Amino acid sequence: MSLTDQTDLRPGPGAPEEAPREVRSPRAPWALVMAREVQVRLTDRTFLLSTLFTAVLILGAMVVPSFFGGTTERTVAVTDDAGAAVVAQAAPAVRGMSVTGDADVTVEPLRVADRAAAEEAVRDGDADVALVGGPGSWELLSDGDAPSSLYVALSDTVRTEALAANAEAAGTTVEELTAGSVLTPVDLTAQEGDLPEGMLFLVGLGFAMVFYMAAILFGMQIASSVVEEKQSRIVEILAAAIPVRQLLLGKVLGNTLLAFGQMALIVATALVGMTFTDLDVALPGLAGAIGWYLPFFVFGFLALACVWAAAGALASRTEDLQSTTMPLTMVLVVALIGAINLEGVARQVVSFVPVASTLLMPIRILEGDVVWWEPAVALALVVAFCAVTILLGSRLYRRALLHTSGSLSWRKALRLSE
Amino acid sequence: MLELRGLTRRYGDHLAVDEVSFTVPEGAMVGFVGGNGAGKTTTMRMVMGVLAPTAGEVLWQGREVTSADRSRFGYMPEERGLYPKQPVLAQLTYLGQLHGMTATHARERSRDLLGRFGLGERVKDKLETLSLGNQQRAQIIASVLGDPTLLVLDEPFSGLDPAAVDQMSELLREHTADGVPVLFSSHQLELVDRLCDAIVVLHQGRVVAQGTSEQLRATAPLRYRLTTSHDAGWVRGVPGVTVVDVDGPTALVEPADEAVAERLLVDAVARGGVREYARIVPTLSEIYREVAA
Repeated sequence: MSLTDQTDLRPGPGAPEEAPREVRSPRAPWALVMAREVQVRLTDRTFLLSTLFTAVLILGAMVVPSFFGGTTERTVAVTDDAGAAVVAQAAPAVRGMSVTGDADVTVEPLRVADRAAAEEAVRDGDADVALVGGPGSWELLSDGDAPSSLYVALSDTVRTEALAANAEAAGTTVEELTAGSVLTPVDLTAQEGDLPEGMLFLVGLGFAMVFYMAAILFGMQIASSVVEEKQSRIVEILAAAIPVRQLLLGKVLGNTLLAFGQMALIVATALVGMTFTDLDVALPGLAGAIGWYLPFFVFGFLALACVWAAAGALASRTEDLQSTTMPLTMVLVVALIGAINLEGVARQVVSFVPVASTLLMPIRILEGDVVWWEPAVALALVVAFCAVTILLGSRLYRRALLHTSGSLSWRKALRLSE
Repeated sequence: MLELRGLTRRYGDHLAVDEVSFTVPEGAMVGFVGGNGAGKTTTMRMVMGVLAPTAGEVLWQGREVTSADRSRFGYMPEERGLYPKQPVLAQLTYLGQLHGMTATHARERSRDLLGRFGLGERVKDKLETLSLGNQQRAQIIASVLGDPTLLVLDEPFSGLDPAAVDQMSELLREHTADGVPVLFSSHQLELVDRLCDAIVVLHQGRVVAQGTSEQLRATAPLRYRLTTSHDAGWVRGVPGVTVVDVDGPTALVEPADEAVAERLLVDAVARGGVREYARIVPTLSEIYREVAA
């Protein structure tokens, strides 16, 4: 028997279909989920504090040395005007040798009465070194090894002076004597605006670390926000109200937005910090690498995002996350170690492997050892990989989402039906 | 109108829901009864689209239900839950928006309902700070937000205090009065009997009975109780009467039809001393025990 027979079928007065149109929202479900994801994080005190702390730490790391390190003062004890003259002449050279290129290294002469007083000044630490004797018999007194920059600069000055004096005695000039004796170094990879090698390594490492941190932190964030909804059981209400695909999309995009925002803040902070150092002259040289880094970052992040969401869906409680996210953390750690340590052909090959490419390719671009098509191919590969993981990740997510009894293995989840 | 046609769900070898078919007409309240593991929750999940059917279909207004339709359905899952760390009003507004309301409308409607359920002062509090009973109330509100076109409620009355049961019943009646079909499952058969226009009884994944409670009662055998001043053993000899039980002056009998029942009364009156002759109307739980046996 059917129940229809006994009941009046007329549509009731004020049936919901007749609800006034303006109260229905045209907003797509994924946009709502994304907005909530962002809003909840931005009102989360822990998140805000840790972001602020990171920014302050970065700024501090760059600004503070330029205050303290900027006042590096070298004192050279001298006994007469000749010594003071040598020190004054050597001072600019000492500055030029400072690692960061800072102009804040000062070299001051300290007048003392005689050699004994000079020795005492060095021993007492009043002076870093003492320059004693005179033209033809200069001696550099130090307590232990003399600071190499001082030693090199002072001995250069002494040598030049002696050469000039000898040349004059021989009736010639220093220029004539030294003509053709200069060996000019030419760095073939160096182009205008390029960074010194040490800096190159640091910037590359910075790129890799920012991605690694963002991938781990926000990946974990995606996974835990998925499991929170599972654990609190609200997921069934959500899954009934909107398609699960939209829920996943909103979560992934919301967290990508947050990751990107936080990364932008960190990079901006670093750039502001750079203006406190002399490194900002190198910035134009970074533009190309940053231009490539951004798309690699976005697609590398997206490629993992859905897999992180799946890892969250496999767990049924927050405590299970550690084990379900393990494969992802491992992949990232291995990729990071590889990016730092690989060399030669292996490095070139790995720089094309999706996700690892986000860590490696920007470094290679920075180093200038890539042909134009190499980043393009690597980017195409990570985009393709991204499509695959989104498909696979969202399938796992859909299947595991309503499985609330105990955590699932990756293998078991793939066999689940919807 | 919601219509289920041959809905089936299989887990490996286990047939959880087997060819379930019934309808929930406009404005009707249908009670879904059955023991634990009968397949009620699985059926409701398939109606809401959170579980895919192995076979069969769910029709809404005569055509296959779409996700756009479902976004307008109100649902209370068996496993309750909201965001524990989000303020009550904020998350209800969000859920309303997911059901297609504008933020303003969703907020107003949530505020109204929270006020009605006595939670007007707690709107900014996090859900986890509310008492269990109040969390239940928030859950009820979540299920009826968004001007639902259909309500599917899995055990909506379980764990409610008597006041909340009344509030919930009233809320459901308001919806059916507006023409919204309501399907809810419950173990509280008396409640189902009181509220529902129709009942569907599920047993081991199959529909074993369905209809209005009058119809279900009509399927039960005609049964009378006769009490006289002396021993009632003589009823055994009356043609067309099946004796269920005789205990001294009281007999429980099943006459073949009303005519036989009338004749039995005439006989009894002729013998004298009739104290009682009453039609036994079975309760819903008795019918349920019978069909689910």
